[in-house]
Amino acid sequence: MISRSLDDHLPSSSTAPHPLQRNLAPHLHPFQKPREYTRAMTAVKMDRMFAKPFVDALGGHQDGVYCLGKDSRRVGVVAGGGGDGEVIVHSLTLRRPLLKIPNAHKGMVGGICWTSEARDGKRGMITAGKLDGTIKIWRSEAFAPGLRDKELFEGSEFASGSGSTSQDILDSAGAIGEMGYDEEEGGGLNLDASKRDKLGESMEPTMVYTNKNGFNGIDHHRTDQVFATASNTVQIWDENRSAALSNLQFGSTMETVNKVKFNQSETSVLASVGNDRTMCLYDIRTGKAERRIVMQFVSNDVSWCPTLPTMMLLASEDHNLYTFDIRNLNSPSQIYKGHVGGVMGCDWSPTGEEFVSGSYDRTVRLWNRESGKSRDVYHTKRMQRVFDVTYTPTADFVLSASDDGNVRIWKSNASKKLGVVSTKERQSIEHRQKLIERYSAEKGVRSIKDRRHVPQSIHNATKLKREMIESRKVKEDRRREHSRKGREKPKAERKKAVIVEQK
Amino acid sequence: MDALLASAGPLPPKKHHHHQKGKPSSNYVKKSQPTSHQTIPRADGTSIDPSLHSILSSTRVPTSFHQSNLASGSGSTPIKPDASLNRIQDKKLKSKLTRQDIVQKQNKIDRHDVNEWLNKAISGDKGGIEVDEELGERTWRVKQKEISDSVGMSSRGKKFDLKFEGMGSYKVDYTRNGRHLAIASSKGHIATFDWQAGKLHSEIQLKESIRDIKFLHSEDFYAVAQKKYVFIYDQNGVELHKLKQHIDPTHMEFLPYHYLLATVGHAGYLKYHDTSTGVMLTQIPSHLGSPHSMAQNPHSAIIHLGHANGTMTLWSPNMTTPHVKLLAHRGPVNGIAVDPSESSAGRYVATSGMDGVVKLWDGRMWGKEVRSWHVRNQVTNLGYSGMGMLSVGGKSGVTVYRNLHEGNTQHTPTPYLTLPLPSLTASSVKFCPFDDLLCVGHEKGISSLLVPGSGEPNFDSGEADIYETYSRRRERDVRGLLEKIKPELITLDTDFLGHINESRGGETFEERNSRSYRQLGRLERLRMDGKADEPQALEEEEEDEDGEGQGEKGGETTEKVKRKMKGKGGSTSRYLRKKQKKNIVDNSLLAMKAKVAAQKKAEDTRRKIASGEIVRETGALARFG
Repeated sequence: MISRSLDDHLPSSSTAPHPLQRNLAPHLHPFQKPREYTRAMTAVKMDRMFAKPFVDALGGHQDGVYCLGKDSRRVGVVAGGGGDGEVIVHSLTLRRPLLKIPNAHKGMVGGICWTSEARDGKRGMITAGKLDGTIKIWRSEAFAPGLRDKELFEGSEFASGSGSTSQDILDSAGAIGEMGYDEEEGGGLNLDASKRDKLGESMEPTMVYTNKNGFNGIDHHRTDQVFATASNTVQIWDENRSAALSNLQFGSTMETVNKVKFNQSETSVLASVGNDRTMCLYDIRTGKAERRIVMQFVSNDVSWCPTLPTMMLLASEDHNLYTFDIRNLNSPSQIYKGHVGGVMGCDWSPTGEEFVSGSYDRTVRLWNRESGKSRDVYHTKRMQRVFDVTYTPTADFVLSASDDGNVRIWKSNASKKLGVVSTKERQSIEHRQKLIERYSAEKGVRSIKDRRHVPQSIHNATKLKREMIESRKVKEDRRREHSRKGREKPKAERKKAVIVEQK
Repeated sequence: MDALLASAGPLPPKKHHHHQKGKPSSNYVKKSQPTSHQTIPRADGTSIDPSLHSILSSTRVPTSFHQSNLASGSGSTPIKPDASLNRIQDKKLKSKLTRQDIVQKQNKIDRHDVNEWLNKAISGDKGGIEVDEELGERTWRVKQKEISDSVGMSSRGKKFDLKFEGMGSYKVDYTRNGRHLAIASSKGHIATFDWQAGKLHSEIQLKESIRDIKFLHSEDFYAVAQKKYVFIYDQNGVELHKLKQHIDPTHMEFLPYHYLLATVGHAGYLKYHDTSTGVMLTQIPSHLGSPHSMAQNPHSAIIHLGHANGTMTLWSPNMTTPHVKLLAHRGPVNGIAVDPSESSAGRYVATSGMDGVVKLWDGRMWGKEVRSWHVRNQVTNLGYSGMGMLSVGGKSGVTVYRNLHEGNTQHTPTPYLTLPLPSLTASSVKFCPFDDLLCVGHEKGISSLLVPGSGEPNFDSGEADIYETYSRRRERDVRGLLEKIKPELITLDTDFLGHINESRGGETFEERNSRSYRQLGRLERLRMDGKADEPQALEEEEEDEDGEGQGEKGGETTEKVKRKMKGKGGSTSRYLRKKQKKNIVDNSLLAMKAKVAAQKKAEDTRRKIASGEIVRETGALARFG
């Protein structure tokens, strides 16, 4: 006979939790799958309900923002280069400019990068002009990472204001002022805007390089004091020398190079994309161009995967993105379709599992490396053509620089909760994510999960594009029908992208 | 560059060859000073170049993590993915699903292990009465008195009788956790109580014939099938709802995970009512007259109906025809019970008929019964316990059987227990969930009898908690509503959801035949574009074939514009006008005039209520006008 003791089933004291008994046998848990499915439906609905990706827009630029400079060593700081030659260093945590350099260049800023190391306590930012053909290195203790000595900091130009105690603290991320809130000044830095602007105006570069041609892109070596620029050739520069170390070019072509990027793991390898529809690989140890591919369309940007050293991503003018394994350059390993305008910028997340792209069609898309369809699409009414995008080093946010003069902060996961999450909450969030993943092939869950509202213009453009591709394929089919058998075989989409691989 | 390529592991052989041909390898070997490499010094004096180790050629799981070396030992046989996964073409999808499948199977094994550690009985058996068979002792000879004398004090208290003389025969129902009991007599007496604590919740006398009583999702609400309609009462016996759509109800079942109340009445309509929203879901005519019995399958939520012509039908709200229609008996089917126990999980169904036969069916193959046997007394009712014991209630007593689908199924099974009810008929037999009790309703009240080994001993607090507190019950109510399963998911095959759809090219005819534009023929494409230059006759023929879908395409529409009548043109006023013209005043005219006046008045009040001139009376007295 079943006889249960109340001692086992009632709480031992008034504050103790009620004891639970478990029996995991399936016959006591009927409808396991339908219940789980219902939970998955609720989870996916909640996920879409809480999807609010837009965090903030960082203003301050007089013209459009055409390039972003991410400092991969620091989380809270990003530099934006404007169309009028202005460079602004934004603080992501304060959401306001830390430093404005109004006339960094004459005309458009072509590229921004950060030096790999702090020299004598001064962090360096390198900017390149697109029109004036100069590269400038700006050094300031304001950029310096880590906690500094008090005396050292007070000697800097930032301490010229009131010497309050809270001001001289740098946060652990190395961005100034994040901890130095002062209520009287209206929050934020204890350095008022006019002083900051004056500092920016009077700031002088520590190093200036000049060149005949303007620069379209710049990237710094991961560890050494070497950086590469893209003009009509790829040039390698040393931070300490005024002339270029070497010129890298494939054969004798003098076509414009759009972007140049160093590999993060094999640090002396770099890739460039050019106006002649090429992507070219170089090694600075041999000082040679190693190989090159010619594609159907121009690529606007290139990015190396941080975790898979042989993986690279190209943002193409034909609305697609391509990943290549550099061991096999004659076809891309995956094509990513979804944009309806030329893709202007791309950046990998620090994990190398995802990446972000910004397009001329005024949208930002997020992608999984594994799938050819975008995971998410971000847009706002006021965001114009997106020219550069970047993941923050923590992978929590993505930043987009657009024509309308704003740098926008987006969450990299639209429905992720910001701030501290308790263990219980985190567990339930993870449980929900797993449920969605498990049932994502099911029609009801999938339709909610994949549905995105896009602006009318994008919607129409997508429809039009689909029709155009369809009709092109019809034409191809007809041509094949009326040509000799075996003459025109259908070609895989991946084989079409690369025209020729050159060595 | 070459270091990168070398560290990236072996290349596919063909490609490798190609690369080498393109560039002489001597160029690579001549390495300049690796300025860009920061080497890391090791303790033994050597230094390593991390970039060379950025990708290993192969990785290996430490042997301590190998399946065969894990402590559980269950890993000795490797888990293999489902064979159907091999048919998937897409490599990425295949690997993903394979991984999922293996994880699921591993989880199942783990769950089984954990459950064994948690709940395995120490004695090793299922429990129940043991007798010395060799000495001629039989379990069915053991009397209730002997059982109650030999069990502990706490169990002895569970055997009780409630005597109500002259109230008619009683129906009983337990809540899902077995804590609460509802009884209803055919002459209108209703009581619900917590039988363990001996606490009465409500007791009402309806003075109306009652045919069935059922608890809803918790002990807070119960539904009663009364003479005319189904009513819902709360824990205090207050009438909450009158379900007018359920006319003349005879049997009821409540599907707790779907929040559906299924009723069937004399007219033979099976009606599903959503109790969480109060909306009638569907009503399905069985076309087999008033049913004699009803049961639900707790594992699939399929409703079983037993009919007068000896058939049993299986229903879900998604189909207007039965899933299964089975000729079970040669007389009316008056008892159906579904086995909820671990070994069966809703697969075995027992039926009893007026022909005096009890049959056991396997839900996977309805062709022939697994077992059938005659019983002497007339059977009225069947019930299954949590451990798979079958109680057969009938005239002058209840018989309990166990291990029915074991041993020789040709023989008539030996009863496990016989519970005689002299000169009484069991009108309702229900095993108490998670306890060794059988509750029998009869003409003189109810009897709660001890049946050792019948109840599932290990309950799960997450599903049905016997010792549920107020706050946990509130929590469960909310969770239950959030996880309410859609009625569309009721299927005969419970494993249906989440399986791979192997039908190629769509499920319906339209889906299979919908080709993309470029796959169409030339004429079809032109037709889609509206540019087909076809002779008129051909087009008309096609229109006839296609029906009305294409009919509207033609230029002129011959459809008449129907004028909407309002005010004077109505049929009633036309009739009145005609009558009045002739100046005939008769009964029909008067009746019509009164009707028009009443309509006008009603319209008037509605308008006034809408504009706020009159406040509409609500509350209990509103029905008196």
